[in-house]
Amino acid sequence: MLLSLQWLREFTPYEGTAKDLGERLTMLGLEVEALNRPCLDMEETLVGLVRECVRHPDSDHLSVCKVDAGGPEALQIVCGAPNVAVGQYVAVAPEGSSLPGGLKIKKAKLRGVLSQGMICSERELGLSEDHSGILVLQEAMPGRAFTPGRKAAEALGLDLEVLDIGVTPNRPDCLSVLGLARETALAFDLPLKVPSLERDGLEGGEGFGDFALEVENGEISPLYQLRLIRHLTAGPSPAWMRWRLRAVGQRPISNLVDVTNYVMLELGQPLHSFDFDRLRGRLVRVARAAPGERLVTLDGQERKLSPTDITIRDAEGPIALGGVMGGASTAIDGDSRTVLLEGAIFNPAIVRRTSRRLNIFSDAAYRFERGVDQRMTAFALERAALLLAGLGGGKAASVPLSLELKPLAIPRLPLRRARAAALIGIPLEAEFCVSTLRRLGCAVEEEKRKEADWVVTPPSWRPDLEREADLIEELARVYGVDRVPESIPAVPHTLDQAGQPESRHKFLARVKAWAAGAGLNEAVTFSFVGHRELDFLALPRQGRVGIKNPLNADLDVLRPVLAPGLLNALRHNLAQRAAGLRFFEVAAAFSEDPQSPYGTGVREEARLGFLLYGDRYAASWPRSSEDADYLDLKGLVEQFFTCLGLPAPEFVREATGEGAAYLDPAVSLRLNREELGSLGRLRPDLAGSFYAKKEVWLAELLLDKIFALSSKVKASFVPWPVYPPVRRDLTVIAPADLEAGAILAAIHAVRPEYLEEARLWDLYQPEGNTREKHLTWRLTFRHPARTLLDAEVDGIRDKVAKTLVEKLAVRL
Amino acid sequence: MGLISELESLAGELESALGQAVSLPEVEELRIAFMGRKGRLAELMASLREAPAEDRPAIGQKANAVKLAISGMLEDRIAVLRAQSAGREDFFDPSLPGRRPPAGSLHPITLVLNEICSIFEGLGYEVVSGPEAETDFHNFAALNFPANHPARDMQDTLYIADEVLLRTHTSPMQVRSMLERKKPPLAVIAPGKVYRRDSDITHSPMFHQVEGLLVGKDVSLADLRGTLAYLVRKLFGAEARVRFRPSFFPFTEPSAEVDVTCIICRGAGETAGEPCRVCKGSGWLEILGSGMVDPNVFKAVGFDEDCAGFAFGMGVERIAMLKYGIGDLRLFFENDMRLLAQF
Repeated sequence: MLLSLQWLREFTPYEGTAKDLGERLTMLGLEVEALNRPCLDMEETLVGLVRECVRHPDSDHLSVCKVDAGGPEALQIVCGAPNVAVGQYVAVAPEGSSLPGGLKIKKAKLRGVLSQGMICSERELGLSEDHSGILVLQEAMPGRAFTPGRKAAEALGLDLEVLDIGVTPNRPDCLSVLGLARETALAFDLPLKVPSLERDGLEGGEGFGDFALEVENGEISPLYQLRLIRHLTAGPSPAWMRWRLRAVGQRPISNLVDVTNYVMLELGQPLHSFDFDRLRGRLVRVARAAPGERLVTLDGQERKLSPTDITIRDAEGPIALGGVMGGASTAIDGDSRTVLLEGAIFNPAIVRRTSRRLNIFSDAAYRFERGVDQRMTAFALERAALLLAGLGGGKAASVPLSLELKPLAIPRLPLRRARAAALIGIPLEAEFCVSTLRRLGCAVEEEKRKEADWVVTPPSWRPDLEREADLIEELARVYGVDRVPESIPAVPHTLDQAGQPESRHKFLARVKAWAAGAGLNEAVTFSFVGHRELDFLALPRQGRVGIKNPLNADLDVLRPVLAPGLLNALRHNLAQRAAGLRFFEVAAAFSEDPQSPYGTGVREEARLGFLLYGDRYAASWPRSSEDADYLDLKGLVEQFFTCLGLPAPEFVREATGEGAAYLDPAVSLRLNREELGSLGRLRPDLAGSFYAKKEVWLAELLLDKIFALSSKVKASFVPWPVYPPVRRDLTVIAPADLEAGAILAAIHAVRPEYLEEARLWDLYQPEGNTREKHLTWRLTFRHPARTLLDAEVDGIRDKVAKTLVEKLAVRL
Repeated sequence: MGLISELESLAGELESALGQAVSLPEVEELRIAFMGRKGRLAELMASLREAPAEDRPAIGQKANAVKLAISGMLEDRIAVLRAQSAGREDFFDPSLPGRRPPAGSLHPITLVLNEICSIFEGLGYEVVSGPEAETDFHNFAALNFPANHPARDMQDTLYIADEVLLRTHTSPMQVRSMLERKKPPLAVIAPGKVYRRDSDITHSPMFHQVEGLLVGKDVSLADLRGTLAYLVRKLFGAEARVRFRPSFFPFTEPSAEVDVTCIICRGAGETAGEPCRVCKGSGWLEILGSGMVDPNVFKAVGFDEDCAGFAFGMGVERIAMLKYGIGDLRLFFENDMRLLAQF
């Protein structure tokens, strides 16, 4: 809401500065977001009096004027306007000043004659688009006295200071100069003046004759009023109104239209003008739209109406969308002579639905959906009718046509002082409460029955005051929420909350701390990505959670895996020439799930993602340049499990499944057959799109499942064995495509006695032989109760070796 | 030659040999030759058995003396050589770069979230978390945002289905916590991601919030002020102050926006005579929304409408920007290593 300080002063005698007013309003909950100075550009423009005006000797359209602009000597100004004449007060931009748009006025010779400034048109002053001639001050503002040399903006009474106020949705009363004047009067303890109605623009009699008004029901329009103004002449509004509307961001159109906007801004009541002569039949009816109806609105667009929309109709059909926008067929134009002026209240929720559905965000809809003061409608309508009559030279019918099917019901609210004091945390004087509420416009009665201290009736313009809590808020607001003391409350605890297991949040925090400690950098990426990206990664379409109204196509689906976000981070950093990246992210992955415990149809799984790329370490001395590979990634996963106290998981090459879509090789991670994630190398055919020239290693761990497993882990001490181990090495020569894990499994399958551990000790690829590899296993044997003998261990080892050769295609 | 004289000459021999030895390995060789398990001294001692019984004590004594003497000579020589070679052996360069493990880091948002959570855990609040896709009920209706009400315009919403959306704030965790706990008291803090249909230089479609809720008996606006004053001092230092401005949130009443003293100009509104750019000259920075829980929220979760509580919510990115001097919101989600490596 843009509030002109000058306009405000017509309602309350506030004499302070705009800045002080802004601060007080802000502390009353009306945040002043900016202070605009719409006339700042014409600060240097002065009032001038044209003393002489003669034809330019060398031109038939230029005049040479002597203008008194307050200085010791009159300025000589060459002026090209046709309307310049002696005796005019004009706006002069003297030499050295500048005009809106940055035009700098310099001394110049025009066809040989010196000119010491410029006499300005409205357009040059930034007041309108009018450039047909210079602005003649006494014509624009009749009755005003002008003194040469004064600042023109001040002399014209322009709106110099405009506060931009953020009005919260609960305060529709503050969407008007009147409403903000009420708050200003409250803040500074000033009287409030409401504009008086000068009734000379009225003509007697009924005016409407047999014209009928019908309203379908009070739900759609509790109050509907019409006034008729005849014998009007359309034309531009007077300068003061045009300029004021411009100062508060409105585009002046014509006297017959501007008045409705002016009164809306002033009093908060949206009004609409119909061209009465273009109505069909002698009837206005307010009713829901019929199915399939269409209406061309003021902006020229044809709108398909819904049966929920409120329409204003003449005898033949809709002529306006009630509370949202007028129709084109009855719009005011330059030929309009008779205006049918509407002042009404429309159902806020219906207006809101219509305005959103049709994307019409008019000032009227904005106010109606928030709530308009039903007791102000008649006054606003009369004020507008009289202004219209005055500006358009017409006569208004003295009696409106009015239907109030649903009079405003204002609740009577009990208020307990003790409750208010306890909630705010201050002692509250009864006198403060009563006087504050009365200054806010409430009626306050003592409550006889003592269930409460008072019964409060809020004013008609405060639809937000519906409950005791709303009144307490008003008391706190006026007392000053910033004056309330500070105390730290005791935080209540209950025993049943004690001894709970580690929370999910704590676990995730622990995971992040581990990952940072493991040398990974945390990334935070958007939860939404584009279907295109998921398609690119060959992830299935099924089960995706799309966004119905995405910001753009790159953000139209919730990610089913963390990989896309990490890959975007990769791309960003590779574009910055990063050499090695080690990312992790802990975040949710989303998929469709009708059984979702949250009732949303969406499953949210916490995941831990890793991405490794390029240099394993910063590749400078003493490290050599080596690229991260599968074993780095797998090592991280293994270490993670170890740190959580979990057994080592299995890593199984997978051909299908989530990871296999975009990983090759893809490996699935399992513990006790439970799938806990996947890892592998980004498919080389996809890597280029992320600027990756080296292998990209990705892992994705299902943290919710891992959390469940880890929460069962109990740390306990195991005493170490007393008897010494005996170790034997066993070197197996295996085909290159035999997994080490298969050999290990075969060793265990023998169930060798006393075997404590079998561990791969060395892996070696003979030079020139790519078909075979040498794997040395170190077998550790131990007896729990005695020292093992060399001979018995040798026997076991030999049995293992023999079985391996039998079962697998290996030699020793 | 008697054993005694052989023992005596041993010392002499070693002395001259040591004179020739110029390195520690040479001395070590001599030590082995003279004093090793099969060295000269051991050899002589082995022949002690052959000596007449009456001579043995004297020889034994002599042998001990010689042993002492030669081990002294060896130690002396080692000390001399060590002293000589000090500074000449393999050059030790402490200035060479170390073999560092890769340096990991937590995202600045995580750091700030952790800090805020631990401040409140210190006060006795429990950290709770919940879904990011929410129902209309939890995100709006139960928080006193009626359908078709302009209050919903305050938050541009991303929808998944008609009644399912991406939560626009962490406030649904108020509803979930109260529904789960069933009755007061409770004190929870809920960090997490939130989403709005808004993207420009100062708005990100995904960002982070922390929500706080305390419900008990006789909880007041003064308690809310005190709690948030505690928070900002912990976050920004002992000089930080809060300013409360009345505002409107559907789920709190009274509601207040909370400003903190500008951390750049320390509330002065200007730096070096120029209006402060961070607070635009006001001396205050808006960081929080807060208020007393609206009775309609208590009603929606089945709590007694006459119980009292406060709630507050803050934007984590905003606080991280202020704390770390990060000027551009978008930097948080680019994951540029040049930023991440600084934390």
